[in-house]
Amino acid sequence: MTENLLILLLLVMLIVIAVAVHRLRSLFAAAMLFGLFSLVAALAYVLLDAVDVALTEAAVGAGISTILMLSTLALTHQRTEARHRRHLAALCTVIFTGAVLLWATTDMPGFADPESPVHQHLAPYFLQESASDIGIPNAVTSILASYRGYDTLGEVVVVFTAGVAVLGLLGGRRSSGRQRREED
Amino acid sequence: MALLVATTLALVACMVMILARALLGPTVYDRVMAVNTFGTTTVMMIAMVGYLMGRPEFLDIAIAYALINFIGTVAVLKFFEVGILGADSSSPSEPSAREKPVE
Amino acid sequence: MSSVFLLWVGGAITLSGAVFCLIGALGLLRLPDVYARMHAASVVDTLGMLLLVLGMLVIEGFSQNALKLLMIAVFVLFTTPVAAHALSRAALREIEPQLDSKKQDAAEPP
Repeated sequence: MTENLLILLLLVMLIVIAVAVHRLRSLFAAAMLFGLFSLVAALAYVLLDAVDVALTEAAVGAGISTILMLSTLALTHQRTEARHRRHLAALCTVIFTGAVLLWATTDMPGFADPESPVHQHLAPYFLQESASDIGIPNAVTSILASYRGYDTLGEVVVVFTAGVAVLGLLGGRRSSGRQRREED
Repeated sequence: MALLVATTLALVACMVMILARALLGPTVYDRVMAVNTFGTTTVMMIAMVGYLMGRPEFLDIAIAYALINFIGTVAVLKFFEVGILGADSSSPSEPSAREKPVE
Repeated sequence: MSSVFLLWVGGAITLSGAVFCLIGALGLLRLPDVYARMHAASVVDTLGMLLLVLGMLVIEGFSQNALKLLMIAVFVLFTTPVAAHALSRAALREIEPQLDSKKQDAAEPP
């Protein structure tokens, strides 16, 4: 009961922060609030028992992406252009897509429903056998690092390439730029 | 247990007030400070929720959060101190709002 | 029996810590300028946090988790003064502190 109330409160906070980020003209303040956004989101994940997701969200959202956004801000303007045109077609598209997605969720099984297909076929095997198969107590870790190890390796390569590219973009300016830049 | 629930609710009220300060501003320092304090409150909240739900292993996450919070805040403030934001101090599109960070 | 007692004592200590956090957050919301707000925020980071950790330590007793709680307290105690120092240094370049309380009363609220 208390948990549900807390999650509801956190979701309301997320909406408030998102609206504030949208309305702010100062990009620096928006970057700060974005870090706040992912802290709140991570707290909601913790309450929903998705601990590993929460850790990732905090590290990536509050840590790395804040730093990346600040580095980007150093190279660009710090305020958004005031833009008053309203795109009605875009609004309609967004509302339509959202409505379709919401309608699609009615076909999904209930939250934590033990009868849902996801929990019927592979999940019991992984939950019961992964510890003896792989020797790692955490099922998520053994799936990520062993059962689908090549897939994870591919992901890591992609992320590493993206990181190198971003560092190249941000760092290339530093060597030729006027001001000193420190990497964080 | 009722006391733990009361503590958690008080922490949530705290978070709401700090969030209000982060949204109101008015200077960028207020926001940085509010985000930092919010991080401390979040760390405490995660630890509290761990005890409330009977899963004290949430403390590992709380530790990680404390470190991330520190890294984030120091990165932001180093950004101020080293002065990398001052690239376009002569930019005409920069109004003299209070929101503007240090040169 | 004694663990129930410890739960109540720890709960009372955490609640008092949360009350200090509330006071700090209220100050963060209501005080007039950055420096005054920083002063209020430090209540959350020191006394509030320490009382909360102390209460959880009482609930936990001696264990590995108690060590983790102490680590959290030490991290926060190390990091928040550094952050507050850097923040006030950066803010001092731009914002004039309102040291005179009379002047501050006369000034318009921000």
